[in-house]
Amino acid sequence: MSTPTDQEPMLRIEDLTVSYHRVPAIHHLSLTLDPGHCVGLFGPNGAGKSTLLKSIAGLLKPETGRILIEGITLEKAASLIAYLPQRESVDWDFPVTVRGLVEMGRYHQVGLLGSFSQRDQSAVEEALELFNLTPLGRRQIKELSGGQQQRAFLARAWAQEADLYLLDEPFGGLDRNSATALASALKTLKERGKLLLVSHHSLAEAEPLFDTAILLNGELVACGPTQEALSPRNLECAYGTAIYSGNHHHSS
Amino acid sequence: MMNWFSHLLSSVVEPFDYAFMQRALLSCTLIGFTNGFLGTFIILRRQALLADALSHSLLPGLAVAAMIVGLSPEGLLLGGLIAALFVALGAQLMARNSRLKEETAVASLYIIAFALGIVLIRFAKVKVDLTHFLFGNILGVGNGDLWIAYGAAFLTLGTLVLFQRPLLLTLFDVAVAQASGVKVRWVETGLLALTVLGLVASLQAVGVLLSLGLLIIPAATAYLLTDSFDRMLWGGAFLGMVCSVGGLFLSFFANIPSGPCIVMLMAVFLGLAYLFSPRYGVLSRLIRGRHYHEESLERWEGHQGHDHQIPEKSQDTRTDKK
Repeated sequence: MSTPTDQEPMLRIEDLTVSYHRVPAIHHLSLTLDPGHCVGLFGPNGAGKSTLLKSIAGLLKPETGRILIEGITLEKAASLIAYLPQRESVDWDFPVTVRGLVEMGRYHQVGLLGSFSQRDQSAVEEALELFNLTPLGRRQIKELSGGQQQRAFLARAWAQEADLYLLDEPFGGLDRNSATALASALKTLKERGKLLLVSHHSLAEAEPLFDTAILLNGELVACGPTQEALSPRNLECAYGTAIYSGNHHHSS
Repeated sequence: MMNWFSHLLSSVVEPFDYAFMQRALLSCTLIGFTNGFLGTFIILRRQALLADALSHSLLPGLAVAAMIVGLSPEGLLLGGLIAALFVALGAQLMARNSRLKEETAVASLYIIAFALGIVLIRFAKVKVDLTHFLFGNILGVGNGDLWIAYGAAFLTLGTLVLFQRPLLLTLFDVAVAQASGVKVRWVETGLLALTVLGLVASLQAVGVLLSLGLLIIPAATAYLLTDSFDRMLWGGAFLGMVCSVGGLFLSFFANIPSGPCIVMLMAVFLGLAYLFSPRYGVLSRLIRGRHYHEESLERWEGHQGHDHQIPEKSQDTRTDKK
């Protein structure tokens, strides 16, 4: 499966190794992903899920390998990537309304001092509309429910015209109604041809949410259609054994 | 009646017959506005304590500058900048290569710098009045101080307005800003440099110990009053300016040092906002208890209205493997 415009996959990772203080968290990982998929990222604690997302977001420097977005390097592709923060890293008391938050997504297009054009305005409107946030536009962000907050960040990414969405445990701490609403928002994005990469803690709800799954355990265990990737054998391989600690780096 | 009014008017205007009072007024207006504006960034970046540390660390810089070049404002500016950056960068270094956390490193370094400053001032050749350093002496504003105020205002306001958008992204979430291509390091360093500049510029007016007030209190007051970043920004600036000028008047008529007057006036506004802010005031929240309930009810209904996905089954449906 490839996009008609070019042969490059949306996300190409080649031989990626990322380390914290010389202790690798991800080993020599390679994979490619195409647009229009909602990809779940699974694995035990410490398997490198957050590390992988942060690397793709450009927050961590790879030790080996490279990451390409639609064939271009991360520095140049920054505006195509939307990294959604974990809930704890957001200051919910920040003086910003839902609308203001979504407008932040346009800063890249608007530039330093440019004013919001008609096109920017309508991109903001569209994003609010798409995620059912229009009536809440004037709310301060703390006055939203957990699910609405997640959708507000998705709306910002939409206004940014991002193609690749990186979500770190977005379902954590959501009640069931909010989780359902978030799931349908993710589905909308997928249907609009976006690529979503979502780290997720629970294997139980993997199937309906994600069409593709990546199973990590320090290194790549499996990447493919959800049911195949999360086969009992693969799960045993990822969860049943100790996390690959990369001793070969020290053996020399 | 008319007589009374003109009497009042002349007693307000009278101080400005003096050139030093005109300079003081100009200086207060500029610094009050600029530092009030900068305050929003410092508060939202949660660097109020770092700014406090920086303000104390200005003292040794001033002392060294006084020893070398005498008490010229430019020398003081330079000395202050060096000392403050020394503490800020030194703390970062300590935090990075020892197990001390940055907050501890900053606190240790600045208090050491402050002590060092007091010792050094003893050795300064020029007779230095420590109380002026500590609490400010707005009536002694010279032309050099005014130039610093102009420069600081121009540079700070210019930079902050120009880079408002990347700054806002960074303040809101560093990781997300970095991911979307903002040069976060530059933004943070620039903010630090502007903070030091703001502190140095306000020294003459309010002194080392109170310079933090101009940076923090007006913006904190505005933060209690609004949910809009822009309004917090300009509101803090306006409040800082009003309080500085008002404090100057108080200082002149009551014959109290200008620094405490300005800070106390800001304290009044902060107290009022803390108690009576329509949205976030402590007392207004008590009074509006019922309204909050209504609001949550409305939110619930809004929630139902917009999220149609609420399933009928209330039982937790564990998705069975299909």
